[in-house]
Amino acid sequence: MPYDFQEVLETIRMTEIEHFDIRTVTLGISLRDCSDRNAQVAKQKVYEKILRYGSKHVQYAKEIERKYGISIANKRVSVTPVSIPFDSFGIEEFIEIASAMDKAAEEIGIDYIAGYSALVQKGMTNGEKNMIMSIPGALSSTKRVCSSVNVASTKAGINMDAILMMSDVIKKTAELTKDKDSIGCAKLVVFCNVPEDNPFVAGAFHGVSEPEIVLNVGISGPGVVLDAVRETGRGDLSALAEAIKKTIFKITRAGELIGREVAQKHNVPFGIVDISLAPTPAEGDSIADILKAMGVEDVGAPGTTAALAMLNDSVKKAGLMASSSVGGMSGAFIPVSEDQGMIDAVKRGNLSIEKLEAMTAVCSVGLDMIAIPGDTPATTIAGLIADECAIGVINDKTTAVRVIPAYGKIVGDIVDYGGLLGLAPVMSIRELSSANFVNRGGRIPAPMRSLTN
Amino acid sequence: MKFSEEQLRKLALIAISELGENASPDKVKSVVSKAVENANAERIVMDQGSSNSTGKIILTAFGLNRPGIISAITKEISVCNCDIHDLSQKIMDDFFTMIMIVDITNSSQDLKDIQERMFQIATELNIKIYIQHEDIFRAMHRL
Repeated sequence: MPYDFQEVLETIRMTEIEHFDIRTVTLGISLRDCSDRNAQVAKQKVYEKILRYGSKHVQYAKEIERKYGISIANKRVSVTPVSIPFDSFGIEEFIEIASAMDKAAEEIGIDYIAGYSALVQKGMTNGEKNMIMSIPGALSSTKRVCSSVNVASTKAGINMDAILMMSDVIKKTAELTKDKDSIGCAKLVVFCNVPEDNPFVAGAFHGVSEPEIVLNVGISGPGVVLDAVRETGRGDLSALAEAIKKTIFKITRAGELIGREVAQKHNVPFGIVDISLAPTPAEGDSIADILKAMGVEDVGAPGTTAALAMLNDSVKKAGLMASSSVGGMSGAFIPVSEDQGMIDAVKRGNLSIEKLEAMTAVCSVGLDMIAIPGDTPATTIAGLIADECAIGVINDKTTAVRVIPAYGKIVGDIVDYGGLLGLAPVMSIRELSSANFVNRGGRIPAPMRSLTN
Repeated sequence: MKFSEEQLRKLALIAISELGENASPDKVKSVVSKAVENANAERIVMDQGSSNSTGKIILTAFGLNRPGIISAITKEISVCNCDIHDLSQKIMDDFFTMIMIVDITNSSQDLKDIQERMFQIATELNIKIYIQHEDIFRAMHRL
C-alpha cells in the first residue's frame, strides 16, 4: 500500500469533516480590447467576451469537483478594471457597462463578477472620476457586480482626494441600497497596495499586467487549521507554528492541483493559488475560533494581534513552500460579518474597531465587512480609510476597508445579508471629528523606506 | 501533447483491431494519427485531466464488522468495470477497516457516480465508505 493509514485518515478528515474546500476558482478576463466610442457597442463587446471565455466556467469547475470529490464553493469571474478600457465614458455609460457585466454573470451562472474598479493611488483621469461617481448607481442597479478602488500605495502615497470621494460613494451606496440593509457596500472595497491577481471577490480584478485570460484559485480551510491547533494541545508556540505550517502546506498542494486541472479544462494559463484563510458563517469555519484555540479568551483580548500575526505568517511560509504560484492576498481574512466567532465577539462587546484596526496591521487584508451606524459622517469614514491606508503604506502590505454605514441603523442593530455575506452587528465608531484633517485633501507623500524604527 | 500509458495502450488496441495481420509502418501511422485526431475532437482519450493524473481512487471503508462487506464493495467495483490495484484490510476488535486503491480509468462511471453507488452500500451495511482521488493524496502527502 503506497499510503499509510494515517495519511488516508488525515485526508478524509480534512475534506469530509473539517470543511476543507476550494473557496473560489476565478477566471480573469481582459477587457482591454473591448473599448469603443459607442457605449452600446462596448457593452455588447463586454457581454460577448465574458460569455465567450466564461460560458463553460461553472461546468468545468463542476466536472473537476466530480472528478476529485472536493467541493469548489464559488465559481467567479474578474475583469480588467473597467476604468481603463472605458476611460472616455461618462457616469451613465459606466453604469451601462456594469449592467452588461451583471447580465453576462447571470447568463454564465455565477453569483459575483468583480472588476468594476479603478486604480487611483496617485491621481485620477476624468474617466476614472466618472467611474468612481458611477459606483453607487452601478451597485444599486445590479446584483452581481463587485467594485473596488485602490487609493494608496507604498510607491505613490495616499491619495486623500480619492479617499474623500470614496467615503461619499460609500455613503451614497448605502443610501441607494437601504431597503436591503445597504448591501451595496458589501460589494465595494477601498484598497491600499491592491494585488492584481486576487481571486477573492469583492476585491478581485484582472490586473493590467495579467495575460488575456487566466485562472486563479483561492483555497480555504479555517476548519482544518482549527483542528491542527486543537491537536497541538498545550505545546509551545514554535510547535504550534509548525503544526499550522504542515496543515497549510497540504491544503495548498491540493488547491494548486485543483486550480491547474480547472485551468487545463479551460485550456487557459493557470495563474496563482491564493492561500488565504477565508472564514464563512458556517460552524467551525472561523478565524476567531482559531485565535481562541491558540489561547486568547476571546477575539479582542490582549494577545490577539500576536496570535493573528503568527497565524498569518505561518500560512504564508507554508504556502510559499508548497507552491511556486502563490499570489493574491495569501493570509488570514478577518471579516466580521462572515465569521461567527467575530460576530459573537462583537456582540459580547469584546471586539472594537480599534482592535480590528490593530489586527489589520498583521493580517492579509483589513477592516472587512464591518457595519457602522448609518449617520456616521463621510469624513469619519474617510479618516478610517486613511488610517487603514497608512498601515498598508508604511508596512508595505495590502490593506482594505469594506465598511457598511448601514442606513437608518444605530449601534446594536443587526444587518443580515444571509448566505456567505453573513450578518453584522452595527459597531460603534468614535464620534470625534476627522473633518479638518481629511478635508485638507491632496496626497500624503510616499514614505521613506530606511530608518525604519 | 503527452499521453499516459493507459492512453497509449488504447491507441495500440485501436491500431491492432483495425490492421490485424496487415500492419505496415505507413498503415500504423495513418491509423494512429486518425485515432489521435478523434481523441482530440471528442475529448475521449484526453479528457483525463493532466497527463500525470493517475485515474486511481482510494476507497476507505470502516464500521462494525459483519459478513459480506468486502463482497458487496468488490462486486460493485467490478460492475463499474474498475480494477482493484491494492487492498489492505484489518479487523480491529469488532471493527472492520479497509483501504483499497482502485483504477477507474476504464470505467464509464466517474468518481461521483461511484461515490453515490458506494453510499448506497454503506447505508445498507451500516458502515462508512469514503472515496477520494489518488491525485489529492499524492499532492498532499508526497513531494
